[in-house]
Amino acid sequence: MTGLLSSVRMRWLAAIIVVANGAFPALWIVLTSFKSEAELTQKPITYWPQNATLANYIAAFRDQPLPVYLLNSAVIATISTIVSLFVSALAAYALARLRMKYRDFILTGIIAVSMFPLVTLMVPLFEIMRGLNLLNSYWALVLPYTVLNLPICTLMLVSFFQDIPRDIENAAMLDGCTRLGSLWRMVVPLAAPGVFTAGIIAFVNAWDEFLLSMSLNAATQYRTLPVGIQMYQGEWAFPWHIISAALVIAMVPIIIVVLLFQDRVVSGITSGGLKG
Amino acid sequence: MPKSRFAWQGPCARIVHKRRLIDRFLDPSETHLGWALVLPAIVLILIIVAYPVTNLIVNSFYDIRLSRGLPVRFIGLENYVAALNDPMFWRALKNTLVITLVTVPGALMVGLGLAMLANLPFKRRGLIRLALLLPWALPLAFVGLIFAWFFHSEYGIVNDFIRRIALLLPSLNLKPQVWFNSPSQTMVAICVATIWKTSSFMALIILAGLQTVPASLYEAAEVDGASKWTQFMEITLPLLVPSILVALIFRTLTAIQSFEIPFSMPGPGEELQTLAMYIQLNTVDYLDLGYGSALAVFMFALSMATTFVYLRYVRGEKA
Repeated sequence: MTGLLSSVRMRWLAAIIVVANGAFPALWIVLTSFKSEAELTQKPITYWPQNATLANYIAAFRDQPLPVYLLNSAVIATISTIVSLFVSALAAYALARLRMKYRDFILTGIIAVSMFPLVTLMVPLFEIMRGLNLLNSYWALVLPYTVLNLPICTLMLVSFFQDIPRDIENAAMLDGCTRLGSLWRMVVPLAAPGVFTAGIIAFVNAWDEFLLSMSLNAATQYRTLPVGIQMYQGEWAFPWHIISAALVIAMVPIIIVVLLFQDRVVSGITSGGLKG
Repeated sequence: MPKSRFAWQGPCARIVHKRRLIDRFLDPSETHLGWALVLPAIVLILIIVAYPVTNLIVNSFYDIRLSRGLPVRFIGLENYVAALNDPMFWRALKNTLVITLVTVPGALMVGLGLAMLANLPFKRRGLIRLALLLPWALPLAFVGLIFAWFFHSEYGIVNDFIRRIALLLPSLNLKPQVWFNSPSQTMVAICVATIWKTSSFMALIILAGLQTVPASLYEAAEVDGASKWTQFMEITLPLLVPSILVALIFRTLTAIQSFEIPFSMPGPGEELQTLAMYIQLNTVDYLDLGYGSALAVFMFALSMATTFVYLRYVRGEKA
């Protein structure tokens, strides 16, 4: 009996450790965001906000154009995800299903791209985008993000497509579908969950990217959220009460995505979306 | 010589050929369709990766200081020589290596621990999984800021805990630290933040591996009287090696590119520049594209070497 009790306790302890490890930093920022500046600068520090206030949130919207950053992040991440999914779905179908001469060579090449250091790419991309006058535009980020997500999406989709039985396609073709027709009518609907999973991973990757965004889109108008969040601090001053309110606003979309699609995200991460 | 390749086939050949082309387009052979489907991906990769990289290597041999408005000129290996003689470059390289050597094994250890804990039979698996996903999903730039606040010297929660523990256990002689005053202490904050951010991804990969280990193996070991520790070392770990290795390659490659977390920490500034930060500074702020390119080639070589070492190890494992 004591053995059982201790194992149940162990389990509780394990659960508390894992949940606290994952959730505490975000939780602490949420608590901080409701404290006034005066409360933040007192010792000993308070854990629970004494006089919860929304003033920091108002200040967060006043000091920086947060809606602009949110919109930029949403537009850039969405467009690049859609394009990336479309292009990689086509390639993945060919690589998973068709007899191709250089299949392994192409796959290796795609994996090699995923190992490429982004910083290295940033230098020439900065010059190219500068030359094309594309610095500070949606294009400057949509194009690279699309390509950066191509390897992950393609690899994930190859494994998803391989799981769809060939017989379904053959049956469709016997019934008079062309190959493209059977791809569109049979394979795409069946692979929809896989495509969706790849899409979420790609979206999170694009949403989180910082280095290219900061280097290529420095103008306020085209700044994305991770870069925008850094703009609250001055040379020496960190207004932590406002920064944490802004962080909470910025974290909400990504936490909602993870909350809604956690099964898919986990299956995506473990099936080849290997980057983090 | 026939005037047209259709000449000997009779009058309808041209029409038949056209028909065939249309048919081929509507229902192409596998190889043609395959290439057509892969083409967009290849074109995009060529434009956004292959061309820029070629460009990068070429640029690294030129003097391209856009801020001075001087004409671009070929200078051979001068950028590379300049880098080798640049103490800032060596410092950045050292910082990058420290972060890599601390956070990659650190993330593996913490990730392994988290995965073991999360693999216990819980009723509410969803909550556990969510707790593992959160650090993965948060942007690195946010994590840097969050931990900068944790380590705040006056009002940070880390120092608050240290003060409380010091009150409870005075014999430990713990003192709150001014974290962002010295490079080495800022480095501690950077590494803690990086390990927190990356260990949960490791945990998810390892957890997926753990769940594929057949229970019958443990039962057999139990019958043979193997202890839990032996079971872990002899059954669990060897079966996890493939998934851990793949995760480690990517973790190492991203650690070499560390940028966001050191960038968002208030710290002693330049002192803790990483290689990625130094490349970004030279390229975007100083507009010295030649030197930035040469530095980026170093970074590229470092990543290639890392991948190479890992791949050799993977092959060695298989053989």
